[in-house]
Amino acid sequence: MAQGVRDGIYDLLAARGVSRRDFVKYCGSVAALLGLSEMYAPQIVSAVEAGAKLKPTVWLDMGLCTGCTESLAQVDTPDVASIVLDLLSVNYMETIMAAAGTQAEEARTKTIADGGYVLVVEGAIMTGEGGNTLRIAGKTGLEILKEAAGKADAIICVGSCAVDGGWVNAAPNPAGGKGVLDVMPELKAKTINLPTCPVNPEWIVAMVVDVLLLGKLPAMDDKNRPTLIFGSTIHDNCPRRGHFENGEFVEAFGTEAEVKQWCLYKMGCKGPQTMTNCPSVRWNRRASWCVESGSPCIGCGHVYTNWVDASAPFLSRMTDVNLPGLGGVRPETVGTVVGAAAAAGLLVHGIASAATGRTSGPPMETEKAWDKKHKASKGGDN
Amino acid sequence: MSQHAHYRAAHPLIFVFTHYVNLISMIGLAFTGFFIHYPFFVWSMGLARSIHFMLMFILIINLTARIILSFWVKDALLLGSNVVDTDIKNWLPQKENKHQFLETVKYYLFLRKEHVISGKYGSLQKTAYLATIPITYAMAYTGFALYGPAQHWALAPFFNAGTAAVGGLMAMRMIHYFGMWIIIVFTMVHAYLANIHGIAPTKIMFAWVETKPEGH
Amino acid sequence: MARAIIDPVTRIEGHLRVECEVENGVITDAWSSGSLYRGMETVLKGRAPADAYYVSQRICGVCPISHGHASTKATEDALKVTPPDGARLVRNIIEGAETLHSHILWFYTLTALDYVDVVSALSANIADTYALAEKAGTAVADFGAIQKRLKTFVEGGQLSIFTNGYWGHPAMKLPAELNLIAVAHYLQALEIQAEAAAIIAVMGGKFPHFMTSIPGGTAWMPTEEKLDDVLFRWKTVSEFITNALIPDTLAIAPFYIEAATYGGGVKNFLSWGVFEDKSLDPLKRVMPRGAILDGKLELVQPDVAKIKEYVEHSWYSSPSGLNPAQGQTQAKFTSYDTNAQYSWIKAPRLDEKPMEAGPLSRMLVSYLAGVPEVKDLVDTTLTALGVAGKPEVLISLLGRLAARNLEAKFVADKMGEWIMELIGAVKGGDAKFFTEPTETNGQGAGLWEAPRGALGHFIDVKDGKIANYQVVSPSTWDCSPRDAAGVRGPLEEALVGTPIADIEKPLEALRIVHSFDP
Ligand code: HEM
Ligand code: SF4
Ligand code: SF4
Repeated sequence: MAQGVRDGIYDLLAARGVSRRDFVKYCGSVAALLGLSEMYAPQIVSAVEAGAKLKPTVWLDMGLCTGCTESLAQVDTPDVASIVLDLLSVNYMETIMAAAGTQAEEARTKTIADGGYVLVVEGAIMTGEGGNTLRIAGKTGLEILKEAAGKADAIICVGSCAVDGGWVNAAPNPAGGKGVLDVMPELKAKTINLPTCPVNPEWIVAMVVDVLLLGKLPAMDDKNRPTLIFGSTIHDNCPRRGHFENGEFVEAFGTEAEVKQWCLYKMGCKGPQTMTNCPSVRWNRRASWCVESGSPCIGCGHVYTNWVDASAPFLSRMTDVNLPGLGGVRPETVGTVVGAAAAAGLLVHGIASAATGRTSGPPMETEKAWDKKHKASKGGDN
Repeated sequence: MSQHAHYRAAHPLIFVFTHYVNLISMIGLAFTGFFIHYPFFVWSMGLARSIHFMLMFILIINLTARIILSFWVKDALLLGSNVVDTDIKNWLPQKENKHQFLETVKYYLFLRKEHVISGKYGSLQKTAYLATIPITYAMAYTGFALYGPAQHWALAPFFNAGTAAVGGLMAMRMIHYFGMWIIIVFTMVHAYLANIHGIAPTKIMFAWVETKPEGH
Repeated sequence: MARAIIDPVTRIEGHLRVECEVENGVITDAWSSGSLYRGMETVLKGRAPADAYYVSQRICGVCPISHGHASTKATEDALKVTPPDGARLVRNIIEGAETLHSHILWFYTLTALDYVDVVSALSANIADTYALAEKAGTAVADFGAIQKRLKTFVEGGQLSIFTNGYWGHPAMKLPAELNLIAVAHYLQALEIQAEAAAIIAVMGGKFPHFMTSIPGGTAWMPTEEKLDDVLFRWKTVSEFITNALIPDTLAIAPFYIEAATYGGGVKNFLSWGVFEDKSLDPLKRVMPRGAILDGKLELVQPDVAKIKEYVEHSWYSSPSGLNPAQGQTQAKFTSYDTNAQYSWIKAPRLDEKPMEAGPLSRMLVSYLAGVPEVKDLVDTTLTALGVAGKPEVLISLLGRLAARNLEAKFVADKMGEWIMELIGAVKGGDAKFFTEPTETNGQGAGLWEAPRGALGHFIDVKDGKIANYQVVSPSTWDCSPRDAAGVRGPLEEALVGTPIADIEKPLEALRIVHSFDP
């Protein structure tokens, strides 16, 4: 890229309050997150320039706790103001938009009518009580989603709730919380799923760049998760992994082993079965992350079953086994009881066999007769 | 003392060998597996996992070899007999004991007085032995799925599809864990039934010592 | 007579609809409708008590810390375990950081847009803006650059989150220069709230939804290095509160002084108390427990056994009038009808009275309990606003707004003390952080405060599993619908009497709603 053109871009950005230094840093961090090399930075720069018209965005609040919006506010680079003012035109986002009520509704319906927008969905799609477990402006949440989904260029489901219902979907799911693709599987081709509870804001930025600026959806797995973000387990990248290998475990909270940052496997860490890049991207502007704080990972990025049912009890290695009439039982208990029952059964069987004189084996002569009757050609000792 | 003769012809040396390999790797897998599940004493997790994986390969190669060998190693189809045929015949349903399955179950439930006479393996025994093949392969499959959720090797999609189908890695882990208990229970029952009528089977399988028929 | 409807109410946590009857430009009746039900209480049944700590935080992504702490306290109460003193300090600091984060975010990001005309800031004179900032004693920024940035933005024609805002509304009263200062601080506040949240991340893994205050203590083991990090971040946040939040409040208040004459609501206030003292006695908490009834400025002690939750006007088929310790939650949607059922929120009453929860309650209770720093703060502010010695003026819209920001200052100062105390304890080397719970049966309550008010978690543990779980959150108190006797909830009551200039754009009603920070 010619020097002059590049300067032009920086002028343009400066007018939007983004300094050259910020921007280079931003391109660097975004590129790193996407697994792109530095070489792509100019491409991102020119994409930003091309996107002089901000991309309209509709952010739908479904059955949510607002944690994912909160999390977006904790983004590292670019800062949240740059995202909502300089990269996107966030025309509808209940938690931060100036307008309310009718004026807010107008902003949404107009953006949808104009088309060409990105749809972000936060929170579970509520299907309980005829969809009335979430009502917005006299409609159900599901109706609002349906209105907004069709014309969207791309749909980003932020947080586990939007992806698969999250904790709301945990048994017995009294309010009917579901994921976007559970209720509208037809959207699969244009949906990006970003689970964890809440979503990690750096991922949103990466996806925004990917979708808006590079103009394509990223490579995704069977659950529509970008493989660059969700392609390895926490356990594989965990700084405590060395202690895991050495068998150095935290055995109880509040102990010296915690100070030494030993492995939390025995405390129920779900790192081995959770596929996210939390250890490298970290949280809150890289301030820390779950395992570093001393708590086992609770597997909030799990997708095939909602993460609560997949990972609770969080302070145990495995989930409980639900047995009819007994409720949740520890797998170790089930295993030991089955094993012990088998051993006891054999013992009793052995004693009974001895008592009834069965330990001497089949009485061959009578058996032969019985076998012959049943047309066995050969049998027993010749 | 059993009235059965246990000739070497029924248990060729090679199968005694595979039986050993199988037993040792199973014990090793169960031990390291339990350790991986919950490290109950201070020992290297890295080592436990390495041994677990190594034994897994040995177990699977051994099982596969055992299956292939059964197509051309000949052994006696009947206890106390020296008449031999390819071992695979022992595994397939034999005409002799097709009708015996329920009767055998009845015997062990004390519902029938006499033991059913059979081929080398009783029909129940045969079914149980046959079941260990898919169970062992399933252990390998689930084990691989646990080991390589993020590995980018050629077979990764094959295992990851299974993980998706069962509901994720936690479910896979539980299946693998309970698979181990199935194998443990099988082994207990197997050892019991094999020796309930005398320890001749143990002698032949472990020491390759024959037991001649008595009285007949 | 006409109805003004705000649906959705924006700039809040969650989903709310507000309907007001307006007569001659004044609200005469109001209905507050919670429009979302997710069933947390039912989801937690049958799970391990510690799971409730992790999951129940997800009730609210703005105050997850308080839910986590209330849950953990309920479990500790039920299983009779006392967390060590080190854990008390860690929890206080985390809770304090959430309070600062929440109050800053509430004032600048959520509420300010009801009072600050962003478009008007374009016509501010830069030199005058600096002069005004100097006079108000508030932080300066590069006002010229910010105005330029705003200009490019507005001229671009895409207003993003400012689309359809109440720009030019007759109820907007600030001069252009003050608007520009507020916009500058709006942007800066986004940075500062993240700094406050990062304190939680350092000590609790991440925010929202932290990981460490499990029943028995904390999983986080402080080191001097980490505490330095916390101290540094706290300084940044604390300075912003002293140098921007407080002076901004005092600069803006005079333009909206008539807000001291309405919006007082039910005039019953409840605080369960927050921030543990060494004794772990709720009456001695740094902000103590107490209640105020019927606007009479004297302290009474609330009796949790006298809480009843009514559902006559809510979409539940479970029995009405139950105490939360025996509470039940069975959803049953009928239809939206302000004369029958109209909300997913239950109507909790303390001794049959609707109670306002929040910073105003806490500050009034602390004031009456004689917490010295609170008395100082409140008295100086009353003097600055020309109503010295009249704390009763705080029972109004303006009072509710001011109480929150004054509380931020109080909590910031206290946090400094806790951090120093913790650093001392860690250097001393004998600080303890965790006690393993051993009991597996018991009933308990975690009565605590979220930034937005009184919060109670109620747990019944049988054989190590949760047999029943109930939550009474601050918004349940504040945004509750009518009860069995038809008595309005605090927000509904506060709306009554509010003037409305433009029924199509009921900005003043929005201000009342936001003053509760639901
Ligand atoms: C045959 C091929 C097998 C493979 C590839 C395999 C592999 C694995 C792997 C990868 C793990 C998880 C290690 C980790 O969490 O890091 C594991 C765990 C385990 N394996 Fe195996 N395994 C195999 C067979 C067996 C067998 C035959 C047994 C028992 C007889 C067994 C018992 C266990 C147990 C108990 C665990 C611990 C499960 C848990 O709590 O996570 N495995 N195995
Ligand atoms: S702390 Fe968790 S993720 Fe890290 S090495 Fe241990 S088990 Fe794995
Ligand atoms: S480390 Fe685990 S619990 Fe923490 S955010 Fe990542 S997936 Fe969720």
